[in-house]
Amino acid sequence: MAGSAAVLEDSSLLSKLDRMLLPVERFCALLSGLAIFSLMFLAAYSVTARKFFGSPLMGYVDYIEAAMPVIAIMGVSYVARDGTHIRMDILVNALKGRVLWLFELISVLLMLLLIVGLTYGAWEHFDRSFDCTRPWCSRDSSIDVSLPIWPSKLVVPIAFAVLTLRLLLQAWGYGRALVLGLENPVAVPLSLTVAEQAMAEAKILEGAD
Amino acid sequence: MEPIEIGIYVSIGMLGMVVLGMRVAFAAGLAGYVGLVWLRWNGFDYDPERFWKAVEISTKIAGLTPHSKVSAQVLSLIPVFIMIGYLAYYAKLTTALFEACKRWFAWVPGGLAVSTVFATAGFAAVSGASVATAAVFARIAIPEMLKIGYNKQFAAGVVAAGGTLASLIPPSAILVIYAIIVEQDVGMLLLAGFIPGVFSAIVYATLIIGIAMIWKNVGPPVTGFTWRQRFESLPPALPIVAVVVIIIFFVYNPFGDAWGTPTEGGAVGAFIVFLMALYRGMRWGQLKEALLETAKLTVMIFTIIWGVLIYVRFLGFAELPDAFASWITSLEMQPIVILICILLAYAVLGMFMDAIGMLLLTLPVVYPAVMALNGGENVAAIDSAFGMSGPMCAIWFGILVVKMAEFCLITPPIGLNCFVVAGVRDDLTVQDVFKGVTPFFLADAVTIALLVAFPGIVLWLPSLAG
Repeated sequence: MAGSAAVLEDSSLLSKLDRMLLPVERFCALLSGLAIFSLMFLAAYSVTARKFFGSPLMGYVDYIEAAMPVIAIMGVSYVARDGTHIRMDILVNALKGRVLWLFELISVLLMLLLIVGLTYGAWEHFDRSFDCTRPWCSRDSSIDVSLPIWPSKLVVPIAFAVLTLRLLLQAWGYGRALVLGLENPVAVPLSLTVAEQAMAEAKILEGAD
Repeated sequence: MEPIEIGIYVSIGMLGMVVLGMRVAFAAGLAGYVGLVWLRWNGFDYDPERFWKAVEISTKIAGLTPHSKVSAQVLSLIPVFIMIGYLAYYAKLTTALFEACKRWFAWVPGGLAVSTVFATAGFAAVSGASVATAAVFARIAIPEMLKIGYNKQFAAGVVAAGGTLASLIPPSAILVIYAIIVEQDVGMLLLAGFIPGVFSAIVYATLIIGIAMIWKNVGPPVTGFTWRQRFESLPPALPIVAVVVIIIFFVYNPFGDAWGTPTEGGAVGAFIVFLMALYRGMRWGQLKEALLETAKLTVMIFTIIWGVLIYVRFLGFAELPDAFASWITSLEMQPIVILICILLAYAVLGMFMDAIGMLLLTLPVVYPAVMALNGGENVAAIDSAFGMSGPMCAIWFGILVVKMAEFCLITPPIGLNCFVVAGVRDDLTVQDVFKGVTPFFLADAVTIALLVAFPGIVLWLPSLAG
């Protein structure tokens, strides 16, 4: 299970922006979840149709391949919001105060550099297959049922654009904590100890079991 | 500058970023991106006027990687397996499974601990989450064991160790990830994990029975269940068995053709668990929560996958894996000794890093080297160093590294499962759990040694299917 961290809130502009972005991120993640749920039905239907009715679902692979970017990438910012993307935190957990915020700020700025580059690259990738002079505005299509590929390519720059906003907010949050020497800054994931994570995890499962 | 030098500098830079706490996926992606720019600009002889051209070309290469690499049908197995895990919580399979195991196995010496091992193995396999399984069973099983006079440390050790059985028994997301990174058959890997996973559980159970027979007060047997009570306990726990069996039969059916693809098997398994969860009262709010959690873990894993694949693309241009493989094969040591050193290095690394991150970061370089040690990707068994063909070596090595990654969850000083069990229960310290887990830690070391010494344990089932 992915370990996540706490994100504090207050009445500052930064925290307001954090809370405004959260529903967008949550919606994107829910789209990922619903795509996975649909995938389950699609695959179960495909095997049932093939095994028991002798009529395999046409375009099964095409549909899955079209859904994969939604499943795999759409929720990337939601995961970044509470720091679920894994890291080696043994050194960071030993740091405190301004030194910690400096490390976190550098880390977020480097991530931002990567994601800005990838957003542009992913947009270019989409743009090469998008051409409205052709049917379905598509320069390329899937093999079996000729689905246009540009919509699934477009998912990536959209998800990365949301992540760019999230990383900008986190850079602001860590920068603010560094300048003001804050102890518990808002809008950034704060590391939990292993014990705290375990307690949080058990609490979640308490509701399920 | 030679591309290989750039490969080494960039890889050191990436490891530096990871150690300094940067998220693994982004550290790998950034290293790959920067490496691509550097290689390209190096190709332009560092002409300042062509720097932005190098950036543009590299950005396009890196930018298409996330979409092109995740849009593969085989990868759809990962989210399906993860969803099975989250739905399994709402299907209330944990208590049902523990109850069934208790009624069937608790009569042996150390019976409740044996039941816990089988229940954690079953649930961990389906949920795919070692740490979460340890957290759940710390709440369910430890109180029952303490009630009948089990040693506190021993009870905690059983739960912490039982959680580690998740990664080998199908459905195993980590084996799918391994198969994808090393471009091997996913179905074969899933099959190969079954016997070592069950074997590990049996080793644990035997160890518990042995301990309970020697020290009579450690774990008294529980008797008194009638056959009727035993059979009544089976239906609620059946989905767990169904999921494992269905996935195996979708890959390999000993009585005829395989039923379909692993993804289809996973989907049918997920559908059964979903129906069970509905039957057990799951509502839209809980389903939404399960979907969000599934999405979160899925996206986290895929982010590492595409991040690492940007780095792998750069590594390919830099020819670093080939150079590392040549170096490894030039060492004047027995190949098996080198392999053991690699496994020990994983044991150390696994103490500090999550299993998925560790495997994804290291395999692009380590895997080709192991293949080269054996004699190459396509070597025949007779000409190989380890006595197995290239594809079989890939499967064997995969099971070994995944087992190592699980082993690290109970390895002092920072075995995560031990911290989790101690974190969930106020009456246990981390030291208590580490003491209790020591026999299992030793048993795991023996299991790994057996898997290395007798590859047939791993390869028998895949060889039947192959």
